[in-house]
Amino acid sequence: MDHLAIALDHAQSLGAEYADIRVQKTRREVIYLEDLSLKHTSMSVEHGYGIRVMKKGAWGFAHSNIFTDDEVRKTVEKAVKVAELSSRIKKGKGLTLAFERGYIDNYSTKIQIDPFTVPLSEKVDLMLEVNKTLLNYSKIKRAFFMLESHNDDKFFVSTLGSMIHSNIYYVYPLIEATAVNDKDSQSRSFDKGGNAAGWEYVLKMNLIEKAAQIAEEAIMKLEADEPGEIKRRDLILDPYNLGLTMHESVGHPTELDRVLKWEADYAGVSFATTEKLKKYRYGSEIVNFVGDNTLSFGLATAGYDDDGVPGQKWYIIKDGILNEYGTTRDTAPFIGENMSRGCNRATSYYDFPINRIPNLYLEPGKKLLSPQELISDTEDGIYIEGRGSFSIDQHRVNFQFGGDMFWEIKNGKKVRPLKDVLYKSNNPEFWNSCDAICDDRYWKDFGVTNCGKGQPPQSSRMTHGASTARFKNIRVGGSK
Amino acid sequence: MMEKQFQTAAKFIEKNCSADDFSFYIYKSDEQRTRYAQNMITQNMSGVKYGVGLCVAYGNKSGRASVNSLDENELKFLIKTAQDIAKLNKPDPEYVPSSSKAKIPVVNNLSDNTVKFSMKEMVDIIGRTVENAEKKKAFVSGIVTKTIGDFYLKNKNGFEGFTSGSQFENSMTLADNKTREAKVERSVKDVNDYSINKELEQLNSRFDALTEPKKIEIGKYNVILRPQAVINFFSFLLYFLERKNADNGISAFHESVGKNMFGKNFSMVSKLNEKGLTAEPFSWDGIAARDFNWIVNGVVKELYTDRSYAKKIGTEPNFIPNFIIRGGNATEDEMMKKVKNGLIINNFWYIRTVSLRKNEVTGLTRDGIYYFENGKIKHSVNNLRFNEVLHEAAKNILLLGKEDNITSSAKVPTMLIKDFTFADTTSF
Repeated sequence: MDHLAIALDHAQSLGAEYADIRVQKTRREVIYLEDLSLKHTSMSVEHGYGIRVMKKGAWGFAHSNIFTDDEVRKTVEKAVKVAELSSRIKKGKGLTLAFERGYIDNYSTKIQIDPFTVPLSEKVDLMLEVNKTLLNYSKIKRAFFMLESHNDDKFFVSTLGSMIHSNIYYVYPLIEATAVNDKDSQSRSFDKGGNAAGWEYVLKMNLIEKAAQIAEEAIMKLEADEPGEIKRRDLILDPYNLGLTMHESVGHPTELDRVLKWEADYAGVSFATTEKLKKYRYGSEIVNFVGDNTLSFGLATAGYDDDGVPGQKWYIIKDGILNEYGTTRDTAPFIGENMSRGCNRATSYYDFPINRIPNLYLEPGKKLLSPQELISDTEDGIYIEGRGSFSIDQHRVNFQFGGDMFWEIKNGKKVRPLKDVLYKSNNPEFWNSCDAICDDRYWKDFGVTNCGKGQPPQSSRMTHGASTARFKNIRVGGSK
Repeated sequence: MMEKQFQTAAKFIEKNCSADDFSFYIYKSDEQRTRYAQNMITQNMSGVKYGVGLCVAYGNKSGRASVNSLDENELKFLIKTAQDIAKLNKPDPEYVPSSSKAKIPVVNNLSDNTVKFSMKEMVDIIGRTVENAEKKKAFVSGIVTKTIGDFYLKNKNGFEGFTSGSQFENSMTLADNKTREAKVERSVKDVNDYSINKELEQLNSRFDALTEPKKIEIGKYNVILRPQAVINFFSFLLYFLERKNADNGISAFHESVGKNMFGKNFSMVSKLNEKGLTAEPFSWDGIAARDFNWIVNGVVKELYTDRSYAKKIGTEPNFIPNFIIRGGNATEDEMMKKVKNGLIINNFWYIRTVSLRKNEVTGLTRDGIYYFENGKIKHSVNNLRFNEVLHEAAKNILLLGKEDNITSSAKVPTMLIKDFTFADTTSF
């Protein structure tokens, strides 16, 4: 703790208007099993600190992994020098920070079994059993299993008086089967994303059973028809497909830094500009999106963000209308907000924290409705499960998504599997076409662990969620 | 020259690692990055990162670990963790022992000029960029980066390599509050090869050529792909040209070697001593680099093969040290005159695989797209989505421009391609 105090005292003595130091130790165990070959079994540890100072309305940031008093002072001096240089090129008085107070607190992910204490042999035995199950099918030519266990142990201390300790875990199993014949290859995955939980999450998944299902469906896709030319049909999307679609078409456009064009050079900007707040019809009246960094299993939940702002829950889209953004202490003042929504996160100790998507979910429908009832109520449509190819423009308007499993619906029944299906739509057409959302019995979460953004790119994580929903009259078909 | 602390750490690992086989790397990366947006600096970062990774094996049971410190206690943890994983792990039937001693080619990836370039000079470049934007009543966003890196690899079977490299990069997007948005980006080994005047001239030229965009119908168009678009589109070959997926019938390269799949105008190679270009002298898993002809005049000559799969099928492993697509001599004017009309595309964005088996990708145009007719640019058009097959596009190349070192490790030409497939429009 001495280093933390030295950092803040030294930054203030050098004229910093604000300073924080984030000490972060990241442990990551990754196992790749390709067919029955253990291609990669690794444990990585990164431990260091990043010091962020604001001086003359500009940020400076420096990092180090050497924990000595002298090195901490040098790192502070570098950060201050960087801030002074940055302040040469600013607008008016430069950046200001939204109000926040200091907190002294601890937050830990609620886990039952620490994944790092589970014997390696237990993990690998399970993975081998899954891949053997996949390879028992003669048409499965590639079986892949990735298992990741992750832990971030962080201390955040700031000149506001905050002293916050967080200890965050997640686990992420991903299985993929690829079937091949002489004309085609098709893959099917079991991918619920990561979850802020311990090993108990993996144990509850019945992975052997799921492996058999994805192997059979991969083979089914191999023999399935393509959907033909693009035409307008109804789409029914499962929560795992919707997870990616909401991430790209709602999550990113409502990050305030994009709205302010801070990411214009790479990740892109947003069509959801400030004059649209509280007015713009983003979706139909049943569409409600909630930002929630208090979800216990959410990958963006850490008690506090890397500005030291507590996790919050708020409506981003309310009754279909653009309601609020995800904000940080340095972006919120640009739209006259007094306080941040707590969306500032860095990936590693050496990364500068940036505006990130919170845990973001679509609220379930209020009326009792099951996916089967939704299918029965659909005359001509396609039901899509899981995530596939995805691409969206840099303003987050026009997009094209695929999926992992596709079923044609005719007169209320799933009549045949399809393959290589893509849907094309845009904001505001897509979310305004949402006419039915299943109820909360069918709500499922999907954890994104690899959201790329920033320069240099940082890979962040957050959880999405939805119940199966229907979208009327969307362009869907093959690729051309 | 390898730092003393690299040597000390290497000796410690060799002395204390008791596994049957081991391979380790040590790296240092000294990075300065300044981000700017809306004509102000928004982030400014500086620091040195270290990393050590160790892969060990007992028989055919392997384990890996990595830490970000050369401190002795961390190295002890590294060795113990990797060895414990290997001991507890299951045997890998496809395990390949570490590579043996190899002659590492001499490449020069480091520039003293870049090493000496200061953060103040980086901020000066941003100052020029912002001044240019303000003159145009526009806004500029981007990042200036300087990276100096050292990398050392050694294993128990005799492979040893050390390399240093430098890179300076500036990426800038100039936009107004309406629809105009243009970008240029370039990375170089030697900062003296970077001219901010030249880059701003190109940025302004692209920006000034933009008009209120018109919406056009989807369909097949002649396109002039500028180098950034060419890199972003064809660099998917770096993933797709993989031999195991090809042999298993998973990718489009199944039984492709020796066949003319890409048409006579397409050649993709890696060359270690290509002027102005860096090249990795060896791979992370201990393969010494050499020149590679991946695709020559459309014929697939070689597929990327990792050490494990190479051993299984009894061939030499390889990797891609740098990325060169061979060009020609055509100018953009000549390209515009070669066809009646078409589109000039500065860049692509958000390209993703649609089908590995078909070699098909999707993505959108970005940073300026212009319609030309009878040899002249007529107006800007709204951005478009493409769904296109890589080798079909290559077969349709009509003309190639001069090669451009758009990044420090890639060199590609401007291309005129006929019948490029656009499958959707955008609203801006």
